[in-house]
Parts: sequence; C-alpha cells; structure tokens
Amino acid sequence: MRGKMQLTVYNSRNPRMPSRPIRRSLLFSLLLIIVSGWAAAQTPNWHTPEQQLAEKISAVTGPGAISLELANRSSLNRTQAEEIHRGLLQELSSLGLRSVAPEEAAATVNISLSENLREYVWTAQILQGKNEPAVVMISLPRSSATDSGHATPAIVLRRTLLWSQPGRILDAAVLSGNPQRLLVLDANSVNIYQMQSGHWQAQQALPIYHSRPWPRDLRGRLVLRKDHLLDAYLPGVFCTSAAGVSLTCHESDDPWPLGSEELRLNAFFAPARNFFTGALTPGVGKQTSASAFFAAASLPRDRYALWLFTTTDGQLHLLDGFTDQTAATDWGSEIASVHSGCGSGWQVLATAKDSNDSKNDSLRIFEVPDREPFLIGQPTEFRGEITALWPQTDGASAVAVLHDSSKGEYEAYQLTLACDQ
Amino acid sequence: MTFRRKLLVIFALTVFISVATVAVIVSILARRAFEKADDERTAALVAQFQHEFTRRGEEISARVAAIAASDAATRISYAFSRKERDYAPFLGEARTIADNQQLDFLEFVDGQGTIISSAQWPAKFGYPDASLPLGQLPQSAFLKKEDLPDGEALGLFSVRKIDAGEGHDGENHIYVVGGRRMDKEFISGLELPAGMRAMFYENFKSGFSPQSLIDPSGTPQDPQKIADFVQQVLAEKQESTTLVHWTSNPAEDETLHAIPLRDLDNRIAGLLLVGSSRRQYVELRQQIRSATLFAGGAGLLLAILLSGWAAARVTRPVEQLAQAAREVALGNWDTRVNVHSSGEIAELADSFNHMTHELLEQREHLVRVERIAAWKELARRLAHELKNPLFPLQLTVENLVRARQQTPEQFDEIFHESSTTLLAEIANLKAIISRFSEFSRMPQPQFHSLQINDLVRDVVKLVQAQLQGPGRSTIECSVQLADTGEMAGDPELLHRVLSNLVLNAMDAMPQGGRLTLLTHAQENTVSVEVQDTGMGLSPEECDRLFTPYYTSKGHGTGLGLAIVQSIVSDHGGSVSVRSEPAHGTTFTVVLPRNLDKLQPGGEERNDGQVEV
Amino acid sequence: MKRTSLLWLAINSLALASLAVASLTITTVARAATRPHYGGVLRLAIAGPVSSLDPADASNVSGQTAIQHIAPLLFNTLTTLDDRGEAQPSLALAWKSDFSSQHWEFQLRPGIAFSDGTPLTANAVAASLRVANPRWNISPAGDSVIIESDSAARELPAELALSRNSVVLREGGKLIGTGPFTLAQWEPGKNLALSAREDYWARRPFVDSVEIAIGRSPRDQMLSLELGRLDGVELAAEQASGTVAGGRVVNSAPDELLTIVFSRDAHSPEDRRLRQALGLAIDRSLLNTVVLHSSGEPAGGLLPNWMTGYEFLFSTSPDSQRARQIHEGINQSSAWNLGYDQTDPSARVIAERIALNAQDAGINIKPNPAASPDAQLVRIRLVSRDAHVALNHLAISLQLPAPDPHRASSQSTSSQSLSTADLYAAENALLQTERAIPLLHLRTAVALARNVHGWSEAQDGRWDLPNVWLSAEKPSTEKP
Repeated sequence: MRGKMQLTVYNSRNPRMPSRPIRRSLLFSLLLIIVSGWAAAQTPNWHTPEQQLAEKISAVTGPGAISLELANRSSLNRTQAEEIHRGLLQELSSLGLRSVAPEEAAATVNISLSENLREYVWTAQILQGKNEPAVVMISLPRSSATDSGHATPAIVLRRTLLWSQPGRILDAAVLSGNPQRLLVLDANSVNIYQMQSGHWQAQQALPIYHSRPWPRDLRGRLVLRKDHLLDAYLPGVFCTSAAGVSLTCHESDDPWPLGSEELRLNAFFAPARNFFTGALTPGVGKQTSASAFFAAASLPRDRYALWLFTTTDGQLHLLDGFTDQTAATDWGSEIASVHSGCGSGWQVLATAKDSNDSKNDSLRIFEVPDREPFLIGQPTEFRGEITALWPQTDGASAVAVLHDSSKGEYEAYQLTLACDQ
Repeated sequence: MTFRRKLLVIFALTVFISVATVAVIVSILARRAFEKADDERTAALVAQFQHEFTRRGEEISARVAAIAASDAATRISYAFSRKERDYAPFLGEARTIADNQQLDFLEFVDGQGTIISSAQWPAKFGYPDASLPLGQLPQSAFLKKEDLPDGEALGLFSVRKIDAGEGHDGENHIYVVGGRRMDKEFISGLELPAGMRAMFYENFKSGFSPQSLIDPSGTPQDPQKIADFVQQVLAEKQESTTLVHWTSNPAEDETLHAIPLRDLDNRIAGLLLVGSSRRQYVELRQQIRSATLFAGGAGLLLAILLSGWAAARVTRPVEQLAQAAREVALGNWDTRVNVHSSGEIAELADSFNHMTHELLEQREHLVRVERIAAWKELARRLAHELKNPLFPLQLTVENLVRARQQTPEQFDEIFHESSTTLLAEIANLKAIISRFSEFSRMPQPQFHSLQINDLVRDVVKLVQAQLQGPGRSTIECSVQLADTGEMAGDPELLHRVLSNLVLNAMDAMPQGGRLTLLTHAQENTVSVEVQDTGMGLSPEECDRLFTPYYTSKGHGTGLGLAIVQSIVSDHGGSVSVRSEPAHGTTFTVVLPRNLDKLQPGGEERNDGQVEV
Repeated sequence: MKRTSLLWLAINSLALASLAVASLTITTVARAATRPHYGGVLRLAIAGPVSSLDPADASNVSGQTAIQHIAPLLFNTLTTLDDRGEAQPSLALAWKSDFSSQHWEFQLRPGIAFSDGTPLTANAVAASLRVANPRWNISPAGDSVIIESDSAARELPAELALSRNSVVLREGGKLIGTGPFTLAQWEPGKNLALSAREDYWARRPFVDSVEIAIGRSPRDQMLSLELGRLDGVELAAEQASGTVAGGRVVNSAPDELLTIVFSRDAHSPEDRRLRQALGLAIDRSLLNTVVLHSSGEPAGGLLPNWMTGYEFLFSTSPDSQRARQIHEGINQSSAWNLGYDQTDPSARVIAERIALNAQDAGINIKPNPAASPDAQLVRIRLVSRDAHVALNHLAISLQLPAPDPHRASSQSTSSQSLSTADLYAAENALLQTERAIPLLHLRTAVALARNVHGWSEAQDGRWDLPNVWLSAEKPSTEKP
C-alpha cells in the first residue's frame, strides 16, 4: 500500500458490514421515533444553517440595508419556510443587515430554499447595483423525519400498526400475555419486542442462518406453537425456536402450514421462488395437489373445508376435497381468511390494486356463501404495496405487511374485522 | 477527254441537278409544313398547359377549402379563439394534414398572420407570416414566395378562412394557407403530351441564376443556354418563344415558350417554360433528306450506267472510224470500217470505206506511174551513160578502118593508138556497169559496236589530202565531236555514208569553202551533221535529192545519196537535208544506238546481190 | 344421492361460469395486486445503437444510454448508487481511503462467481477496472483492490458505480459478468437475449429471460408494443408525455441534457459576447412546451435542479433585447453552422427554432446537419446520480475542460466530500467558458405493457430489470 493511512472513512450505511451495534442503535432510535407517533422531528434545528447563510450574505454585502425575498423550491412546507425566513432575518440583523423595502435597499438578496437528492440547498443571489449577481449557498442534509405523517382514515377493516422498519418484513405475530410480545420476521432474523409503557422495546434478535441467496420477493411465515415459541418458514430454510431464546435453522423443504391452526393443511414452497409448488399434505380431502399458488385461504364448512388458492396463473382455484374449480378473478395474489364470527363467520381478505397504474394496494373483504365470492363493504386502501398477508395462527386476525415506497419503509399491520358494521 | 466521257458527264450532271433540285424543293416544303404544324402544336400544348396549371390551382383551392372545413381546423380554430395560446398540440398538425392532402405548404395562421402550425417550417410557430393576403382573400390560387429554413421557394397557394361555426368569437379568425411547391414534383406532375416538357424559373434574384431553373429531373443541363432568353422575357414581361440549341445535335433542339407568372402584387414571380422537342421534326427532316439522297444517289448511278451504255452505243462507230483513220495514217490503206447501224454514222463509215478504197487505187496507180518513170529514167541514164563511151568507140573503129584503107603504113601506129583508146573506153563502160550493179547489190548491215567519232575521224583523214590538193581551191575542214558513246552499226557501210556525204560536200565547194563535221549524242540516238558552204540547193532539189540517179553535179551516177539513204534506213535511222541557196547545205544523219542488235557471236556479212 | 350431487355440481359450474364472466368484466376496471410472478420473457426495445456490450468500450459513444441500461444486467459494479445518489456496497462490501482521497481500498464481497463459474477475485476486478481507467494505478491485495489516482478522487465510490466501471471478465473476446443475467444471444446492433442466473448472488431475477431489440424505429416500437409483441419500449423525449394504448408510460426525472456545444473555444471577446447573446435569445420554454411537448425543463445549467438544488440560479428566460445589446457593434463574420442529429425527429425543429430565435436577436445561425458545424445540438444522458460524477462525465462528453472543484472553491479540504457550493463553482466555471449553451433537461421514458410490473420509477430513469416481473395477463400471445 502506498502512503500512510491517516484517516479512515468507511462507507456510511452497510447492513452487511460488521457494525451491528451501530445498526441496532439506529434501529432503536427509529423505533423510538415511529412508536412515539411521528412527532419527534417536526421542529428540526434550522439555526446553524440560517447562521451560516446569513454570514455568507453579510460577507458579500457588508452591513447595510437590504431587501430580502425568499422562495421555497423544496419539499419544506410553508410553515417551515416561514420559520426559516424569520430565522434568517434575525441572523442577518444580528450581523448588521437591515431588511427594508426594495427601493431603499443597497442590495437585493433573493434566497431560495431548494434541495437535491441528498441535501437542502439554500442559495442567496445578491444583487448590488449593476454588478453581476453574487451567489452564495449552503447545504444541509435532508432528513426523512421532516416528511409529514400520513392520515389513517376510518376503515371497515380494523388495522393496527404493529411495527415499521426500513428492511423487508416477512411476517409478524403478536404474543398475547403480560407483557405483550411482538415477533417480527425479516430476511435475517426473528426480532422479539416487548411492550413496555406503551412502546415496543427490542428484546432479542434471533439470527437466521442460510447458505443460499434468498430469492427475489422473499417470503416467510411465522407460526406460533404451543410447545415451543415459534416456527419460522423461509424458502428452503426451516427455523424453530428452542429453549425459549435461541433459533435453530437448517436447510429444509418441509411444507409450510397454510391457514389457521385448526385446519391442518401444509404445502410445499418452491425454495428459489416465491410460490408454493402445489403439492399439499395431507391434502384437501383426497386432493393432494393443486396448481402452483401464491396464497391459500380456508373456509370451514359443516362437513368439509373449502380451500381457495390464488394460483400463479392469476386464477382462483376452489378445492373442496373432490373438485378443483377455477375462476378467473380480479383478486390479488394475497388472500387470507379471518374468522370474524359475523356474517357466515369466515371472510376472505384479498389484495387488489386500487386503480390502474397505482402504486397503492387495497384490501377487499369477500363472503363466499357457497362457491361465489361477493364483495362486502368498501375496499381499504393502503399507502403502498402489500407484500405479505398471512392469517394469524388462531385464525381471528391476519397480518399484512405494507411497503410504503415513498418512505422506503415496511410496515406490519394486524388486521381484524369489525362486524358491527 | 473522250467524246464518251463528255457525254457521260453531261448526262450525269443533268440527272444530278434534276434530283437535287427536287430534293431541295421537297425539303423546303416539308420544313415549312412541319414548322407550321409545330407552331400550332406548341400553341395547343401551351394552352393545354395553362389549363392544367389553372386546374392545379383549383385543386389546391379545393384541398385548402377541405382542410378549412375539417374537424382538425375547427379544433385549432376553437383552441386559438381563447386567450391562452398553446402551440404544442398543433406542432405537427399542419405537417400531418399537409401529408394527407398532398400539399407541400400548409400553415394555420391567426388574423394577425401569426403562425399557429406550419408544415413547411414547423419551428416557426408564433412567428408572423407577413406575406399573407389576409385583408382581402383571393378566391383563386395565387403565386407566392415562401420563406423556408433553407432558402426560398415559390408555391401555388390558396387561402381560406376557417368557419368556426356558432359561438365562435368572430374577431379572431383562423386561416388556412396551403399550397404546392413549384418544384420538380409539381412540374413532373403536370400532365403533358409526349415530346413536351415544362420547366420553371424562380425569379428571386436579379440576373439569371442557374439554380433557380427547375425541370422534372431537377436542374436542367446547361441552363446558361437559355439565360439570355429568360432575362429577355423577364425584361419584356410578356410571353415569348425561342428555339434553343442545347447541343450540337439538332434533334436535341427545343422550341421554348416562356409564360411569365405573376404573384398577387403583379410582380413576375417566375417563368413557366414549356419546351417542345424538335426531335420529331428533325428526324422527319432527316428521313426526307436521306430518302432524297438515296433516290438521288440511285438515280445518279442509274444515269451513269445508262449514259455509259448510251454513250457507248453512240461513240463506238465513231471510235471505229477514228481507229480506221489511224490505221490509214499508219499506211494500212486497206483498212475498212464495219458499222452495223444506220443514219449519219453509217453514211460516214461508207464514205470512209470509199475513201480508203479510192486512196488504195490511186496509190497503186501512182506506183505504176512512178515505176514506169523510174524505168524511163534508168533507160535514159543508161542510154546516156552508155552512149558517151560508145561514140569514141565508133570513131576509133572508123578511124582504124579508114587508116587501113588510106594509110596502111601508118596503120600499125594508128592501130596501137586506137586500141589503147578502145580499151580505155571499154574500161569506162565497165566502170559504169559496175556502179549500177553496186547499187543493186547493197548488203544488209552487220552490227558491231563502234564509236561514230572514230568513223568521222577516219573519213576526215582519208579526204585530208584532197582538201588542199594542187589545182584545187582550199577547203577548210573543222570537226566538232561530242561524246557520243557507244552504238551499234555496220562500220563499213557507215563509213561509206560519211565519205559520200563529205565527197558530196567537197564537190559542192569547187571554189573552196569550209567543211564542218559535227556529232551529237542523244539518249537513244546519235547524229552526225555534215555542213558545207557551197552554193546550196533549191527546195525542189532538196525534194529530189535522194531519188536514185538524180544528180546536180556534172559528173556522177546520181546514186551516192540514194546509197546513203539506203544504208541509214537499214540502220533504222534517218537522213535529212536543209539548205539555202548560196549559203550551203547541211546533211543530218540520225542513227539509233541499236545496242540491242549487237550479236555477241558472228559478224558475218550477208553479201547478197540484187540485180536492178 | 348421486343424482343430487350431480345436480349440485352443475349448479356450481354455472355459478362459476357466471363468476368468470363477471370477473372478466371487472378485470378491465380493477387490477390485481398480485405477488410478483417468476418466469416469462421480458421483451424490450431500445432505440440507441449498440454495437458492443463492453461497458468500457469508449468508442461506443452513441450507444452510451443503451449500454447503461444493458450493462447492469450482465455485470456488477463494485458499488451502486442508492436513491440519494450515495454509494452502496455491491461487489465491494466496504471501502476506505487515506486522507488525501488518492488511495482507496475496496474490500470484495466473498463467495461471488462469474456466470461461467470463475470465482470473483481481486485480480479479476483489478484487471477489469484497468481497461476502463488506464490512469489509475490498480492492484489486488488479498480480498481487496487498491486504487490509487494522481489527484484526490473523493467521488471514487460513486464513480465506480458507473456502468463503464463494471467488473468484466474478458476472455478471448467473450465478456463474462457477475450480473443477474447471462448472455444467451447477441447480434450486435440488432438483438440481445439474456437468461436469468439461478445462482445470482443478489437474488435471481423474476423473469426467466430478457430479449432486447435494438435500433428499431420509434414507430415500429410503439406498434409492436400496442400489438403485444413487446413489453416495454424506450420512448423519445417528445413521446414521453403521451399515452400508450394498452399500457402506461413511466417517466424519469429530467436526466438528459439537450445543449448546444461549440466546437471551439471562443476565440475573442466578441465571440464570447455573441455566444452569450445566443444563450439569451433562445426561448427554452417554448422549445420545451411546444416542440418537446413539455417532456423536459428549460435548462440554464448543465445539471438538473433535482440533482444540484441550484439550477434555477442560471437564468433560462429569453431576452432578445438584452441579447442585441450584448453583441451590439459586433460583426458576425459568417453564419454559424448548427449541426444536429438527423435521426432525431425533433432535433431539426429545435435547431430551426434556435435559428429563428437567434435571428430575432440579430445572430445568424444555419441549421445544417451535413456541414462541419461551428456548434452542435447534442443530447447527453447524465451517467450518474452523483452530481459530481455526472458533471465530470458531462464535461468529458461535451469535450469541455475538466471541472476542477478543488481550484474553484477553497472551502473544502481534500478530506471532506465536495459540497454543493463546490459543485456550483465548478459548473459555473464550465459555463463561463461559453463552450456550451444548455437548453433543456429532458426526461427519459419507457412505455410498458400492462403485464409489466415492478418497473423502477427511479428519478434517473435507470432500469432495474431483476425486479421486473410479468403477470399472466397479456393483450396478445403473439411472439415477436
């Protein structure tokens, strides 16, 4: 190596670098921000950049009378821009620059609040007499915390935000008890959080070891067990918890449990893909195979269970143990059945696009009294794509994972159906 | 030039001139007829062209009217009736519509002439087009100069107001201006009859610009050839016609009719040039010319053949006559002419045959007369010669007889004297007889190579003593010898010729004088002149000089010169005499060199003897 | 019992049939939020000529945009840029530099193999990078690659994300990469077929293969898209705002620069003033809204505002009066020839519009694609989301002097990353040379069939084909 390393600058954000403590603390701080209701960074500190810009302007104009115009070209909202305007005037006056009407001013300062991919860019064009305008600028990092929060409209479907993180969430499950615990499955680990004074606190991360690269559109399912804490199913990998706090993973093509616990049906998952192969065990009645599918939902009947499969060819298959009936539907590939106790007792949740070319998905609720699904209620819209929809083990609720691409975050929601509508 | 050739030439010339005259007359008449037809055709075509041009204008007007009534135009009109102007939706609109309607130019403009959409210059939206006649819309198509990104072009335009229908703000109208470019496509799109083409000259710049001339192929070759004509028409501002020689080939010639085209301001925007090819005419003319030439040539050939035959028929008897005349001239007096014809030539031939017949008879008569005369002369001469010695013989014998009778004592003496005289006279008689026999006994010459100068010298040496002998007047002798070269001849005979001539000359100068001998050499002949300064001869004497037994001297047999002539003639030569009385006489002997007669072997002499 | 069950089946069948019909009618309105599908052939068309797939082939200038789309399919770079334009690990897991930013060490990700099975080694990376960067001193060191440059290279991690710095194993004329696809078929300038790698280290792409038709006319492309023979086509800028029957259009942020570039430096102050006047004379806004159907934004600077945050400082408003004042008294010796790309349908109109604007200001310009140009109308794609890297490469493409932010600004020491003010100073200095007159920043766009999902809508219009998947619905099953 040539020369002497005087200073080492490591790249900033790298999930695979051996810097787990830093990442954990980052996650932790994020958790704090999110859980505390998005309120933390509403009032960032603009003081330093205001001071820097004022000093630069003053260096050009010197003390005197100026006229100041401010234009906001950035994603900052009007309140923030006004705040910055005020702050700047204050800083300038402390440097001996008075703001006066344009006709009285010795210099005209046009300030623009702009931004690029990484930073806010504040510029000042200073026009003195007939000279070419002088330009000064400062830049400051953009913070996602300044993004405004989102509204949660009233819904037919009751959804509860369980967890949010930048990395992809595969599944989540809430363990009732005292204190309540939350399990979150992502590509690398099962994270366990504990409810403490109204907030989820990270308790433990159980890493998942796998030798092969994960497939694109990674899926995984958490299944709570009575005899041990959990089983985690991932493509080609099966993990089971042991001794309460550790996770044992091995390569396995064991079938994944479908539906809720009481309807025991397992299906084999294609290890390098994002769908089930169609092989069923022990089978629906005598049927042990279906077309390759993405998701399944079960509807218990008196003497049998009707299984719905969203197959990879975009169709809906209905298996009752004897027949395999096909229907081309406009359903999305994610479905889950929820036992609400109202109506026929069981409803099917299915994803859909809320409109053409939209990035946002919605969830619709269907009743299937016989073999004909019909829509009940209004679709519930989500700000992003639903990347996972799994029924909870007890069948009373489901968990949906939403990818909000505008924020780049994954959010896990618990979905329950309120049937008093 | 023979009579036959003369006849031939006269016949041929007559035929040729006749054919040529006919050809020229036919050609002139054909040209006049064609030019008249061509003028009429051009006029008809120009009229057709103008009709076609007008039709084009109407077609453009119809298309523009169709565009003005189209939905697209109404849409534009509606969009621009509002205050906010958005050119974007219409940027390519004009081009699309223009393509559909097969127009080169299409613009949508508002009431101020601001371009909304332009097919020919899409980038010019929002800019004004000042050249548009929006104040008073012309009903028919008009010519207009159009600015283009890469220069200027002339087009046939039509303009229409878009009828925006009800509810439209009446003040701000939208107009459609469409047209077709006067380019090679336009020109080639005009329906013209075969042999005709149209060209177009865009009058943008002063002076002739070759790039402004457009024909269906693009730019015509050698546009400078019509530069003057174009400028002339532009200056005169009225239709005109000219003949253009594009190349040296007359078939490429073209009758060009120029029609000035005026724009709305009555300026000449361009010239329409309607060219009518002269090829057809030129080819027709060439056909007539070749037909004429062929007929003339064939006629001429036929004429020559016929004239040759006719001339031959006419001249053959004449030629036979001429040939016979030449034969007669050569001495063939018995020549006859056989002419199988009638008329003048036959009479002429008969007369000729009669003439030769007469001539033959007269000659035979003359020969007979001459022969008798010669015999008479010979008899007279012989009698005269013999009589002279006979008389002394008679006297001597009578003297002897008398002496015997009268004086026997003296008889012996007288006898002796008389016998001497008798013998002398008999000898004289013998000599006379010998000379006659010598003449009749002239031998054939024996050819030997010799130098004539040597012979001359020998002769002079022989007579030298006699020239200045006692009792004689002195004769001066001079010899002038040229380098005569070798020749063939009989030296003895020629020596006799020369000595005879020299002795003759000496005889001619009894009072003395001068004898001159000259030799001359020519290429094939050698000549010897013997001149004396004697009394000379009269012309009559000259004529008879070579007649045997003629002499002008008091002595001699008169055979000397006859022998000379005989020998010279045997050598193939000639002897001539010229003389003037009192000035002397000159004999000239001309001898051929006769080298071909030299016989390498024997030099025998045939001593034949002829009794005369 | 049997009879009833048969009847029951028949009724069910009828009910399902009616459901199918009903749902078919719904399909045209609502769209399924389906999970990504694996499999299928993604058929794309790109306009740009591509004669070579080698991302380091500098001779392939006209195919630069195309190769930027294609190279990431076959090859990886040591780093990638995230949405903020910051370098993120790719083949390199981590990196560090010395104080001077001249000496860099990149630690390679372990366990990666080229598509032919050859393991990725530091040697291979060094050999590959040397091809594209002969001026760097590159050496392998264990599982790291050391890069040394003559001057401070603070943007090196971002620079390495450029497709020209792809890691390529060049073996006997074959190009082998570590990317998500392998080459199945390649007809230079015509067709490219790629197959997904099952063992791709960063997850197998959804589609099985990608077929890319190259150099087809925009009209052909659109027709094929509408007939269902293609799943996606690259659009010309003026088409970007349009709509596509049976599909959708995805626009990028303006990431292409349309500019006039002079072939020579201004040779005199008069020449400079004429060029300034020309810049003032052009009505960029009308060019954008009318000629290019608002597919871009008027550009005063070389880099777009979303990248720099200060582009609005460079004026774009036309002022032909001021233009006249600037060049008053200067006699333009001869008309400038303005060259443009004849294959670009809107370039001619733009050039002619510029000539008209210039004429208004008394400047004589002739659009002439054939003659040797005094100035050229060019479109250049910004190669990177990193503004500094993008500016550097823009300067190289336009043959402008290399921007020198170190000299332009004294504010930052060599260890700090370059600030926006430095960037502004560098860009301003480039513009001061009067070699280029920026006109517009144009969006790039693709038209996609309805069955194409997961298309990246990143600002810089880059293609993220591994994440693209095809749903079963297809307007037509016809093969291209």
